[in-house]
Amino acid sequence: MPIFIFFFSICVGRYDISVGDVIKSILQLLSGHDFGLSSQTFVLVTRVRIPRTLQGLFVGACLAASGTCFQSIFRNPLVSSGMLGVSSGSGFGAALSILLFGTSIFAGGFSFVFGMMAVALSYLVGKIAGGNSTITLVLGGTIIQSIFQALLSLLKYVADTETQLPAITYWLMGSFASTKSSDFLYALIPMTLGLFGMFIFRNRLNVLSMGDREARALGIDVGKNKLAVISSASLATAGAVAVSGIIGWVGLVIPHICRMLFGNDNKIIVPTSMAIGGSFMVLIDMICRTLTGSEIPLGIVTSIVGGPFFIYLLKKTKGKQW
Amino acid sequence: MDILSLQDVCFSYNEKRTILNNVNLSIEEGEVFCIVGPNGCGKSTLIDCILGINKIDSGKILLAGKDTCKMKPNEFAKYAAYVPQAHAQTFSYTVMQIVLMGRTFTQNIFSPGTKEDKEIALNAIETVGLRGYEERDYSTLSGGELQLVLIARAIAQKSKLLIMDEPTAHLDFKNEIRCMELICQLVKENNLSVVMATHFLNQAYFLENAGIKTSVGLLNDGCFEITGEPSNVLIPENLSKTFNIVAEVAADASGERKYILPLRNI
Repeated sequence: MPIFIFFFSICVGRYDISVGDVIKSILQLLSGHDFGLSSQTFVLVTRVRIPRTLQGLFVGACLAASGTCFQSIFRNPLVSSGMLGVSSGSGFGAALSILLFGTSIFAGGFSFVFGMMAVALSYLVGKIAGGNSTITLVLGGTIIQSIFQALLSLLKYVADTETQLPAITYWLMGSFASTKSSDFLYALIPMTLGLFGMFIFRNRLNVLSMGDREARALGIDVGKNKLAVISSASLATAGAVAVSGIIGWVGLVIPHICRMLFGNDNKIIVPTSMAIGGSFMVLIDMICRTLTGSEIPLGIVTSIVGGPFFIYLLKKTKGKQW
Repeated sequence: MDILSLQDVCFSYNEKRTILNNVNLSIEEGEVFCIVGPNGCGKSTLIDCILGINKIDSGKILLAGKDTCKMKPNEFAKYAAYVPQAHAQTFSYTVMQIVLMGRTFTQNIFSPGTKEDKEIALNAIETVGLRGYEERDYSTLSGGELQLVLIARAIAQKSKLLIMDEPTAHLDFKNEIRCMELICQLVKENNLSVVMATHFLNQAYFLENAGIKTSVGLLNDGCFEITGEPSNVLIPENLSKTFNIVAEVAADASGERKYILPLRNI
């Protein structure tokens, strides 16, 4: 499915391109052989559509898979990828850079650094209370989240309402349109690492979701495994948020869609959340850039399109996974 | 050799109050040890110490002759399996997925379960009498069935020792007996050892009546006041001292099957 959507997404846009031309362009890019395409088509496919579609795939996969991982280790189906303050930390970082430099050039880097910092702080707050208790970790996350949200509001309050405030607001709504391909390439590093980590540790998630005491008695080092999963999921989310802004919904609901479709075995739903999350994101992005003349922010469309789809699935499967 | 032995174990959550003070116990292969005592005497704390969740202040816990403090979790799981008291079902896994978790300690992250693991899990499900339940959603099971699934998960670890924290706390009579008979079967057929915390003192007599080597430790004020066979420990004098109740120990017509009849508070 992701492959199909990948091609579909490259074809669709302001200028429609045939599937044949897309395949030719890719072959031309890979082999260097000239297939006699117009240079306009070739550039559009390789420089615009492919990076953008890849970005959608990666961002969606990262958000959805981290959501799944967090739900499992926190034993809470209501947790999303923004848990532990990644999103609000990232949002604050981006706003700070817009305020400091007047443009959103460094927003990606800043948001990644602050996103990771927020997670580290949440983890440390959780540790203060002692042990690896899940509840203190969730509480730590919630508190750090609220602190960064307050700081973000503060930045918005002092921002220049003519130029900076709109920039911050648009960034927060999430979009692929303004992402530079160099930013995306940098963000690929944490996203790939995170996805890889989550994929590897998916075998541990079932046991971790039994709670610390049982997980330990079943023979795994709870602290180390949890830290590995949290780091992977946070790297992926922070990388994704850094290039595309805050996109809600995907990190909470895609995991649940996977649970409805495939059951709760994390060995299965971690990879499927990646596939479905990625496909969904590309699909949404396609709607965003084709529906109207100007692009609609992603964050808006995810909920409007995803919500009814979720309700449909709920009706169909009767929500038997809860 | 003792499968489990505790030597002068002390533990406190903070300096002010000592929970466990010089606890000693030892369990042989094929023996059931019942930890009994009033609420708040430290039964669950003691179990957490054995599991390594509580770090003991002093003393030694030896599992199969090895110091548990120096054991990695996967090594611990090889020798001892744990059946929890209450289990929160957050996600609806299938029974098979739950029981397969018992094989986790044999796997590293790159090698998920083998065919052999599946077979072991299937046998464990068979042993507890839930054949045909493999694909059932475990959050729809009754309390009794859930407990059996958790015991099956422990059996799937194939370890020599079962650590059980009030295994029958939420069960009705039928399921309680089912659970006790299962313990008897495991001890007799597989020569397993069991440590269990329980509030149902008659279970100790049940095991003794079934011809199993049983010991009872009366835990009070942080240490075992008396340890020994049920017939010697669970007598009216000791019950009145530890639980502050008046109780009778009766026997059926043959005089062999004993039980405790709690009468009133002192």
